[in-house]
Amino acid sequence: MLKLIQVLWPSFAVAALAEAVFFTVIDPQELYLFGQVVHYGALATYSIAFLGFWLVCAASSLSTLFLQRSAADINRRN
Amino acid sequence: MSSPSPKPQQAQKSKAPQSSDTLYESRKKLYVRAVTGVFANWRWALVWITQILFYGLPWLSWNDRQAVLFHLAERKFYIFGTVFWPQDVFFLAILLIISAYALFFFTAIAGRLWCGYACPQTVYTEIFMWIEQKIEGDHIRRQKLDQAPMSANKLFRRSAKFLVWGLVALWTGFTFVAYFSPTSELLEAARTFSFGPWELFWILFYGAFTFLFAGVLREQVCKYMCPYARFQAVMFDPDTLVITYDEARGEPRGVRKKGVDPRSLGKGDCIDCGICVQVCPTGIDIRDGLQYECIGCAACIDACDQVMDKMNYPRGLIRYTTENALKKNWGNKEIVAHVFRPRTLIYGTVLAVVCLAFVWGLASRDPLRVDVIRDRASLAREVEGGQIENVYRLHVMNMAESTRTFTFEVSGLPGVKIAGGPPRIEVGPASTQSVTLQVLVPYDAGKPGSNEIEFLITAEDDPSLSLREETTFLLPR
Ligand code: SF4
Ligand code: SF4
Repeated sequence: MLKLIQVLWPSFAVAALAEAVFFTVIDPQELYLFGQVVHYGALATYSIAFLGFWLVCAASSLSTLFLQRSAADINRRN
Repeated sequence: MSSPSPKPQQAQKSKAPQSSDTLYESRKKLYVRAVTGVFANWRWALVWITQILFYGLPWLSWNDRQAVLFHLAERKFYIFGTVFWPQDVFFLAILLIISAYALFFFTAIAGRLWCGYACPQTVYTEIFMWIEQKIEGDHIRRQKLDQAPMSANKLFRRSAKFLVWGLVALWTGFTFVAYFSPTSELLEAARTFSFGPWELFWILFYGAFTFLFAGVLREQVCKYMCPYARFQAVMFDPDTLVITYDEARGEPRGVRKKGVDPRSLGKGDCIDCGICVQVCPTGIDIRDGLQYECIGCAACIDACDQVMDKMNYPRGLIRYTTENALKKNWGNKEIVAHVFRPRTLIYGTVLAVVCLAFVWGLASRDPLRVDVIRDRASLAREVEGGQIENVYRLHVMNMAESTRTFTFEVSGLPGVKIAGGPPRIEVGPASTQSVTLQVLVPYDAGKPGSNEIEFLITAEDDPSLSLREETTFLLPR
């Protein structure tokens, strides 16, 4: 449970920040996806982007957590 | 989890992860005792104010549109008479600075005022606890109910509680989404239950997290998740008002009969009733001194004051006071005098200056903005009569609250003109209109390559409102 929060929560906060900065600068109508103009509704674009940001940030948190394990933790596992 | 807790020596070896792991897992569920009093009234007042604002604002309208709407689809933020465009990101930055400095300022003066009274986590926890209390009874009954085997009564109370919590949470989620997607459209969708998938997703998402944070996690959010709780101590100094147990007066604590002078028993004023611990939403004992878990809600002040009243002791064994005041035995006058000190004066001045800058910036915002974009598809084209044509798209943004008509002129090259004569376009209140202009120039009017030209955009009803926008005109080589 602690690990889950440690991964999901900071990444959520950073993703929210990234989303805000990204979309203040970039109009979703100027985005291209695989060479096609993004044609989703505004809310869908924002939402998908947010979940995307969250996913990326969570991956980063997860790696931190993974690399943070002490020698004792790793040895005990094996 | 009832797994044996790590032995002390073991825990010390791999200290950090172990201890925080066990902290989370062995969290004791708190049964917070309800409290009344001056500060509880303040907290409830703030619950009402913030929630009337939060739940109410999406229903207000202003100039035939929703008064407060962060319209994602239009990329515009409506806040009553003011409309923010993506170009106004500067104001957003200033707003963030203002919030930060306000937080510093109030924290330096009186500690975690925000946490104790206004933070949504506190406010929703307060609401959810009130519901819990109404349905499941006081803290003792709630604990009994938790320990009791499942029965019809338990099932009924549990489901009733979850149901009411769920409804409040859903309503909160709906309100949240109504800030981003117009309320009228959401209501229409609610009537036929035809929400867009993402609207539904965010209503449920926000609702679920309200439920989880205010109903289940509660003080854990403040203790483990809130970044502010981690660094707020930086803004404290010995003159900051914090909720403090007056150790000199209270100790040695102990049980005694009413009406006996505690000094004759060699005791302090604390009767060790433990009520201050029972009412604490984070489950700490304020008598152990200032702790980072303390959210400054002042519930323990109210609780202890009631005890003091019953015992006929003066109030304020737990009170708002400062480290210096306690040490040097200051009265209220000195405490107030020390509110004005370099730290608060600096925070206060910065705050005031930034607020002024914000207001000034808003007041002097251009009521008209124009983006000129060269049409990249057709660079320079020769048209009949030996003229060269360049095509431009102009986005005209009318920031005013009324419809305006704008005219366009072009200058910068001899014989330059807009094909079909100078156009007029009408732009609605606080909206954008695009217009495509074909600009013609005689073949030999300028040098080959790019030449500077200028558009002049003027409001018909107010000639003083005009704007010059430079751009380039391409002549073929
Ligand atoms: S409520 Fe007051 S008297 Fe009771 S234990 Fe706490 S500090 Fe002591
Ligand atoms: S110690 Fe007192 S002020 Fe601090 S959180 Fe607990 S009840 Fe609130």
